[in-house]
Amino acid sequence: MIEVDGLTVRFAGVTPIDGMNVTFPGGTCGLIGPNGAGKTTFFNVLSGFVKPAAGSIRAFGEDILRMADYRRARWGLRRTFQTEQAIEQLSVFDNVAMIYEHSGVKGAGKRAEVQAAIDFVGLETPPRARVGGLGARERRLVEVARAVVGSPRVVLLDEPAAGLPEEETEHLRRVIQAIPGQFGALVVLVDHDMSLVRACCETTAVLDFGKLIASGPTAEVLRDENVIRAYLGTEDVA
Amino acid sequence: MDSVVAFAVFGVDWEFFKPYIVLGLALGGVYALSGVGIVVLYQATGVLNLAFGAIGAAGALIAYWMINHTSWPHWLAYVTCVAFGGVVNLAYGLFFGPAFAARDPLVKMMGTLGLALILLGLMAWRAPVGGAFARFLPLPSSSHTFTVFGAFVNWTQVIALVFAIALTVVTTAFLRYTNLGTAYRAIANDREITATLGVPVRRVEASAWFGSGLVAGAAGLLLPDLLTSLDYAALTFLVIAALAAALIGRLQSLWVTLLGGLAVGLAQALFAPYASITQYRSAAPFVLAIVALLWLSRRRVVTITRTAR
Amino acid sequence: MSVTPSPGQDTAAAARAALTLDRGTAVRVVAIAAFLAIALFALPTIGADWTTTFTSVAIYSIITLGLGILYGRVGLISLGQVALLVIGVWTATRLNFATGLSFPLVLLLSGLITCAIGVLIGLPAIRLSGLHLALITLMAAGAVNVVLVAINFPNGGGGFTGRTSTPDLSGLQAVRRPSIAEGDTAYYRYVVVVAALVFLVALLHVRSKPGRAWAAIRESEPAALAAGVNVVFYKLWAFALASFMAGVAGALLAAQVGQPTAQSFQTQDSLTLLAVTLIGGIYSLWGAVVAGCFSQLLPFLFQVQWGFNPNFVLILFGAGLLQVLLTAPGGLAQQFPKDMASLGRLAWRGVGKVTGRGGRT
Repeated sequence: MIEVDGLTVRFAGVTPIDGMNVTFPGGTCGLIGPNGAGKTTFFNVLSGFVKPAAGSIRAFGEDILRMADYRRARWGLRRTFQTEQAIEQLSVFDNVAMIYEHSGVKGAGKRAEVQAAIDFVGLETPPRARVGGLGARERRLVEVARAVVGSPRVVLLDEPAAGLPEEETEHLRRVIQAIPGQFGALVVLVDHDMSLVRACCETTAVLDFGKLIASGPTAEVLRDENVIRAYLGTEDVA
Repeated sequence: MDSVVAFAVFGVDWEFFKPYIVLGLALGGVYALSGVGIVVLYQATGVLNLAFGAIGAAGALIAYWMINHTSWPHWLAYVTCVAFGGVVNLAYGLFFGPAFAARDPLVKMMGTLGLALILLGLMAWRAPVGGAFARFLPLPSSSHTFTVFGAFVNWTQVIALVFAIALTVVTTAFLRYTNLGTAYRAIANDREITATLGVPVRRVEASAWFGSGLVAGAAGLLLPDLLTSLDYAALTFLVIAALAAALIGRLQSLWVTLLGGLAVGLAQALFAPYASITQYRSAAPFVLAIVALLWLSRRRVVTITRTAR
Repeated sequence: MSVTPSPGQDTAAAARAALTLDRGTAVRVVAIAAFLAIALFALPTIGADWTTTFTSVAIYSIITLGLGILYGRVGLISLGQVALLVIGVWTATRLNFATGLSFPLVLLLSGLITCAIGVLIGLPAIRLSGLHLALITLMAAGAVNVVLVAINFPNGGGGFTGRTSTPDLSGLQAVRRPSIAEGDTAYYRYVVVVAALVFLVALLHVRSKPGRAWAAIRESEPAALAAGVNVVFYKLWAFALASFMAGVAGALLAAQVGQPTAQSFQTQDSLTLLAVTLIGGIYSLWGAVVAGCFSQLLPFLFQVQWGFNPNFVLILFGAGLLQVLLTAPGGLAQQFPKDMASLGRLAWRGVGKVTGRGGRT
């Protein structure tokens, strides 16, 4: 469970997140909202790239904001990025194994865990292959593998299917749906593809202008008038 | 910065400091106008031109050669020095600017280091220094002095300070009120979008390169007189003092750059009469610049994009 | 889908892999051994001032190695490496005159002290953007230069600066060389061995955990952080490594020169160092050797052997720097093998055309 309380972020004269209060109960949770609603900023606060002006975030009982940014990954906070950020110079294995190298966990089970993560996402390239030589689909899978290796507690997925064709999105959907069961982690999925959100997420929260405007079971939220208005604008505009 | 002036006010012998204050303000003026030249170019093109000093030094050497080895009129030499700065800077900008346009500011800056090396090599090759031989580039304005508040001031020093202030005023007005100035600010904000708005980005950048180069030439002309000798190596690395001024202004505010330049000049000059620290006074610009940099970068921001090299 | 090998098969395969070097590694090992053999045994035979120059090449290779790793692997630029070199020279000279420590110890201490100073300078600056870090190191270098001109190098005197204005002329002291390597040729070999060890340390770094962390940091800091890499720590480590190397190089330089003077270190040396490091090649350790040659061998050739004005090299370096930045970011170390390979292919095709066979690439 992740509890966000009164989170506020300000920089360069804008307030991307404005008093955000939300609870992500567990399993796979969706986080949607129109462009500029603050979703990626929220992820950046979780990752430690952005310092909030106010508010707190507790995940599984721990105060996330008090942890140093690099420690959060070791604690179990993992993430993928909007534009995929796998390290081209390194091999698939090294990319996925990096979290092990820097978590103080001794290397005994490392190879098995890394291979398990690679198999889980359905990546068929040899582990020693350089990521730079792989295509967009494989790179995205490497990123996801890196996010689920070992014992993740929270997995943040930022538009993982962006730019991928239909069959790849299907494959990704199956992978995402399996994460909570396989690893016991809480997944937060940000995406604009509503069918993906509907398929994967039991609950969904909706942001608009940095504030929460709806949360609850996905089907209900997607029918909510406020949500539709946020995406499409008000009818009175005519 | 104010602490230096405050120190002088509190019960220390004014008379003793006057000549140093005058020199400090004059030098500071040149640092300030160089700083303005650097900031405006950085704003318009994203290039922090570390060859600024070398360009001025080269111009000064050319003026020196014209005065001492030809019979051409002196005013032509001075004009050539300033014009040379504009032309060389423009040439670099036209030739290399587009190639570096998409790269990050660090790489753009390193390109200017290449230019500085080339100029240093040319200067060392064609104008070697050795032993007791020294070059001088006195300006006619230095032979006219008058007294202000009981201190001796020559016209070169006045020109340096007045030019710095005037340049700051004119450039600030230019950036705010003219179309070209607005174009500079637009490009500084986002080059690509500005281009799609129909602004002739290349031409605007060329004007920035040329203008900044003219300022470099002017600085190169004034400094040898203020420092009483023409040492091209010293002139080249005085860019650091100008850089200090620019950094104090956060590479944004021209007025703060002006004040920063004056502060650096004053700090350097006011340490001079103290025997125990006078050898270290040339370190003043470096120390101030470091302090300014660290103070300005208190907040760290992580960029969430892949680095394009 | 590949079948996961059983544990027994896995271990056997791993053991076999460790014992057989693949062709690429074998070629590299042979090349390094051959290079060292030539350096140690063939080069000193050319002439006395050549030996001195080669000693300088080896010393400057160490310092360009540090800068190359800093920029090529981590993406950080330091314009103050020559200042750290000066600090290394100063420390070694001061230790030499003030204590009776053996040379290897002086070497190590100079490296460590310079490393500490480098980290101190880098610590507040490491969180800044690349441009700001470069500028801070440039400023620090300038400040060090001013201090150097003021206090010069120690010459056996007392006090903190260890310099007296009236040195005892009867026994003008020089920095001691190691007892096993006092002559020029012997000292040259000593320096080459030390350099080889430093390169080995660098290689070990690059091939293991720090190297992987650096690769991640250079490509994407957010990704590195998201993978648990302590970015600040690893950046500082790279800085510390480069500073240590500068300190070691400084100590070696002090003993080579004997009586270092402030005049031999100019502000522009920082620029030339950056230029040759990039020209040599920042993505390969060999690039540092190339850079050392450019930095020390080329001016020697220009001035002593060919009679050209050595200042001409500055123009070459400036032009070379621009070229590398614009077209060949890997420098000569990357470009040369590629060019040779293309030339080889062209030649092979030419042979094929002429002889009518074997021209397929």
